[in-house]
Amino acid sequence: MIYLLQEELSKKVMDVNDIASYLPIGIQIVCAAGLVAFLMLVTHLLGPKRKTADKLQSFTSGIESHGDARQPVAIKYFLVAILFVLFDVEVIFFYPYAVNFKGLGWSGFWAVLLFVGFFLCGFIYIIKKGALKWEE
Amino acid sequence: MNALIISAVWGVVMMFSGILLKQRSGIRNLAVAGLVLLLVSNILEMSGTVFFKVELKGMIVFDRFALFFDSIIFASALIYLFLSARDMEKVGVNYAEYFALIFFILCGITLVASFKSLLILFLGIEIVSIPLYILTGSEKKNLKSNEASLKYLLLGSFSTAIMLMGIAFVYGATGSFMSAEIIASPGTVSALLIAGMTLLLFSMAFKASVVPFHFWAPDVYDGAPTVFASFMATIVKAASFIAFIRLFNDLFGDMKPEWQLWMAVLTAATLFVGNITAVFQQSVKRMLAYSSVAQAGFMMFSLYAMNTDAVEGLLLYVAAYSLATIGIFAVLNKMSDYTFDGFNGFAKSQPVLAASTTICLLSLAGIPLTAGFLSKFYMLRAAIDTHKNLWLVIFAVVMAAVSVYYYFRLIQAMYFREGNAHEIEVTPVFKWTMVVVAALVILLGIFPNLLLYWFYF
Repeated sequence: MIYLLQEELSKKVMDVNDIASYLPIGIQIVCAAGLVAFLMLVTHLLGPKRKTADKLQSFTSGIESHGDARQPVAIKYFLVAILFVLFDVEVIFFYPYAVNFKGLGWSGFWAVLLFVGFFLCGFIYIIKKGALKWEE
Repeated sequence: MNALIISAVWGVVMMFSGILLKQRSGIRNLAVAGLVLLLVSNILEMSGTVFFKVELKGMIVFDRFALFFDSIIFASALIYLFLSARDMEKVGVNYAEYFALIFFILCGITLVASFKSLLILFLGIEIVSIPLYILTGSEKKNLKSNEASLKYLLLGSFSTAIMLMGIAFVYGATGSFMSAEIIASPGTVSALLIAGMTLLLFSMAFKASVVPFHFWAPDVYDGAPTVFASFMATIVKAASFIAFIRLFNDLFGDMKPEWQLWMAVLTAATLFVGNITAVFQQSVKRMLAYSSVAQAGFMMFSLYAMNTDAVEGLLLYVAAYSLATIGIFAVLNKMSDYTFDGFNGFAKSQPVLAASTTICLLSLAGIPLTAGFLSKFYMLRAAIDTHKNLWLVIFAVVMAAVSVYYYFRLIQAMYFREGNAHEIEVTPVFKWTMVVVAALVILLGIFPNLLLYWFYF
């Protein structure tokens, strides 16, 4: 083993660089690559093949696509989109609370109330700032 | 605990003050009031008055060191607001939000000063960094500010990723985030722990702008609006050093032989690159940016030595360096020309400001009777106490001599060059605060125990 710039060692550094300690990683790589190869092979062998022109069209939630996607979009859209993502993600925190509702008791309730309070502060802030005003 | 909660809440208050208060002076006064409240409540906590009882599970511990450091930081921030709050108006329209972000940064600083768990360290570092990315790019119309912000964001998040990897390695090696349990892991040190420690060392060195991880610092300080560059180069830098020293004292203290020589090499490299590059700068702002890298080299001594002297010295150093640099940046911000020539004849038009700037510069250069001298002295004494690597101390003294060149160049421009430094508008508050800063620098240089006394009692 190479010691870089170390004057003396306070504790003996464990030698983990032998080949055996890499075995789990090797198994992991083999499994990961094997799974991909296996699934690709199986779908090709077992799946039915029906080639139609409809399948090559882009599919957007069942609505017929029209026009070109590459055109300028108003910057306001990004602001609304990012605020939506922000609040959407914050709501995810309610899920673990809902699952442990009884277990967490009153202290959990106050914690979530505090969270909702801050959450509401942010909401009032963006409304007061006019971030959601579309017509301007 | 007081400071942590009050700073977070006051950040939200400042956010809403922008909507509710129409007058900018009202917003400014509210920020100053918040900071005074923060400072007072923190000092009260030092004498045992805790307003909020929160079960922290030992993840954050507000010990004497953390509280004392926080007090220094809040006091410097208060001086910073007195000197620079008015100049923030020039940056952009979101005046209240700048203060809100500064309060959030202070909240992050209280976290990094008192963490006992790596998770809290990560949280604190991020709470400090993210508002900084915004403040750097707050001058939206200025291309340089945008560039600096993007550069800082990319490099900063990269180093944060390295820190997370390091934390994951440490967790893998010891099975815990808590510093107490990481120390207690007995017997041999696993290679995984060494790898984690090294990655943490690199990412913290990045945050503290230590060579060779300093490349972002001059560009970001140069591009950021001067008022915020001043905040980043002083208060935030001090905070990253406190996190650094906490990390290596609490978690990796008993592995000292493994990292001590690393620290010595980083210190020498930082001193060398910071000082030599600063000599060649033509812009005072960029010179101050490199000077902050060079001063980081001296602060690295506390990490290298890691003994009682070093910790005391770092606290004194933080106070001395923050005071002096905030003062110089505040004066620089008033100038229209940021080059050395822009300061020509400054002493004739503004004798009081020139004198106090000179005292700040002398302190940074480490001239006796200023706080800078004694703090450098503490650092070197701590390094000598380790009884090895004497070359490092000699090298540091040589580099301090080099630093005299570029600091005195500014003094020379102010006093001995004929020129027309533009008539600048200064309020009496600004002038008197500068005098107070200069007085504090000299006072701490003569009686350092005025400050350090509070550390123990």
